[in-house]
Amino acid sequence: MVGITTTIPLEIPLAAGESILDLNNLFVNHETPQELIDKAEMAGFPRNTCGWIKGIYGAIQNFDIRKVISVTEGDCSNTRALMEVLSSQGIKIIPFAYPFEHSEKALAGQIHSLAEQFQVDTAQIGQAKKHLDLIREKIHEIDRMTWQEDRVTGRENHYFQVCSSDMNGDLDRFSLEIDSFLAEAGQRQPLKEDLRLAYVGVPPIFPDLYPALEKLGARVVFNETQRQFTMPFPTADIVDQYLHYTYPYGIFFRLEDIKKELEKRRIDGVIHYVQSFCFRQIEDIVLRKNLSLPVLTLEGDQPAPLDARSLIRIECFLEMLRAAKGAS
Amino acid sequence: MTALGIDLGSRRIKMIAFQDKNILWFKSFDTIPFYKQYSGIHEGKLTIDFSAAGVDIEFQEKAIPVVATGYGRNNIDLENARVIPEIQAHCKGAEFQTGLTTFTLLDMGGQDTKVARVENGLLVDFIMNDKCAASSGRYLESMAAVLDVSLEELSRHASNPIPLNATCGIFGESELIGKIIEGHPLEHLCAGVNNALLKRVLPMLRPFDKDTLIVTGGVAKNGALICLLETSTQARIVVPPHPQFNGAIGCAAQAR
Repeated sequence: MVGITTTIPLEIPLAAGESILDLNNLFVNHETPQELIDKAEMAGFPRNTCGWIKGIYGAIQNFDIRKVISVTEGDCSNTRALMEVLSSQGIKIIPFAYPFEHSEKALAGQIHSLAEQFQVDTAQIGQAKKHLDLIREKIHEIDRMTWQEDRVTGRENHYFQVCSSDMNGDLDRFSLEIDSFLAEAGQRQPLKEDLRLAYVGVPPIFPDLYPALEKLGARVVFNETQRQFTMPFPTADIVDQYLHYTYPYGIFFRLEDIKKELEKRRIDGVIHYVQSFCFRQIEDIVLRKNLSLPVLTLEGDQPAPLDARSLIRIECFLEMLRAAKGAS
Repeated sequence: MTALGIDLGSRRIKMIAFQDKNILWFKSFDTIPFYKQYSGIHEGKLTIDFSAAGVDIEFQEKAIPVVATGYGRNNIDLENARVIPEIQAHCKGAEFQTGLTTFTLLDMGGQDTKVARVENGLLVDFIMNDKCAASSGRYLESMAAVLDVSLEELSRHASNPIPLNATCGIFGESELIGKIIEGHPLEHLCAGVNNALLKRVLPMLRPFDKDTLIVTGGVAKNGALICLLETSTQARIVVPPHPQFNGAIGCAAQAR
């Protein structure tokens, strides 16, 4: 079993017959995720450090994970320090980087070295990609049914897409779960929320964001990062695939994808989620400058239900969007 | 009475009664004792014993509309009242009090600071302070306590501010104590506190037009801060007649 700190070329460990666990999902879906954060703080992680980093650390300890693929470039520098702490505890760390220069040559080098670590060749990786792509296509259909047919809630859209980072640790079981969801959702009447939202940024640490929005009459029909996890673009090989993947390559590359989807999905407003103490909070400046739609920046720290301060921001934002819609 | 507006704030609860579009009376209570003495929960809704609180209950007998706002519209579900979002209440209050329809609103309350942009009567954008009281009235209260001066005295001084850099309201206290020990004059310490608050608020104002800046909330009574705001933003600053009651006024103005 191998843990991952964020999305990596899943095809490679899969080709080697490894089972893969996204440590973020392991953390946030834990019965008491706060305990995992407490574990990290007891070990000395500062209070003003990203909750995801602490949660990943806690999950590794809790589930006694001994091997981790850690993304050292394209994600945050906190991951590097986390990797150092873990390796000092005897946990095997396999580094992987999405090179900042975003070139085919540099990424191919990284993919080659990861493949060497797992002792798999191009043909085996190609096979694994085919297998994964079949599942990914079905998740793309869930996404399409979200924005085009209005049959899928924001949380369902989030769940199936976010789980594609590790296919819930079991490809066949996850594939069956998707099949049964698609059959059920296909029978539904279209949902009736009057506001269509985009959610951009890392996945939320709040467990109740999507239902809270829907209770207030607004539905997320675009989950930016989660959708990226599903590799929503046809590609022939994995180097090409992870060059198209926007999440690790900076805000301007992400914005190209975001802008296209905002228009296609007829979005009324954007929620930019930022994690407390994350460098991506700074990217909010660029994001706001480049989007013409209203943006609500929502900050989360710990894995707990939305607090009163966040709710008040959400309700004001939705009222503002409604007033603007009524006036136009 | 034709309408009652209630603003359930984090530090004070404010009520305003309207007779048509005129203010009939105001009332203000400390939040915590108010909830302890006069409120309860009935079938999941917040109830208020208005008569015990000394509020004229004519509105209950005559079914006069009550509009309320406060900490998260979904958290306060006040019985027999229409609850509206805080930003909406504050923008409508500012419009009512000033007659302006295009402005930037800076509302500085006990724990929240909000900036909203209203154009032709329509809210077009807003932001609120991050999860920290160092950019709100609460900061002034605790710093006044450290300096052992009243809020009125604190509000008189804007010149020669001593630099205060703490980003946290609690650590700000120890920083201020350090400055007292260094022997700075009280006036400069007070100005330093006001200037520290200004420095927290200016980045929030940065993205908004600063043609007309309406300042509301309890902090609007801080003359030194208004002075500092005027100098740093070059905006036309308008402080309405009842800045602390602005949210409640907005509620009453929205009654129908």
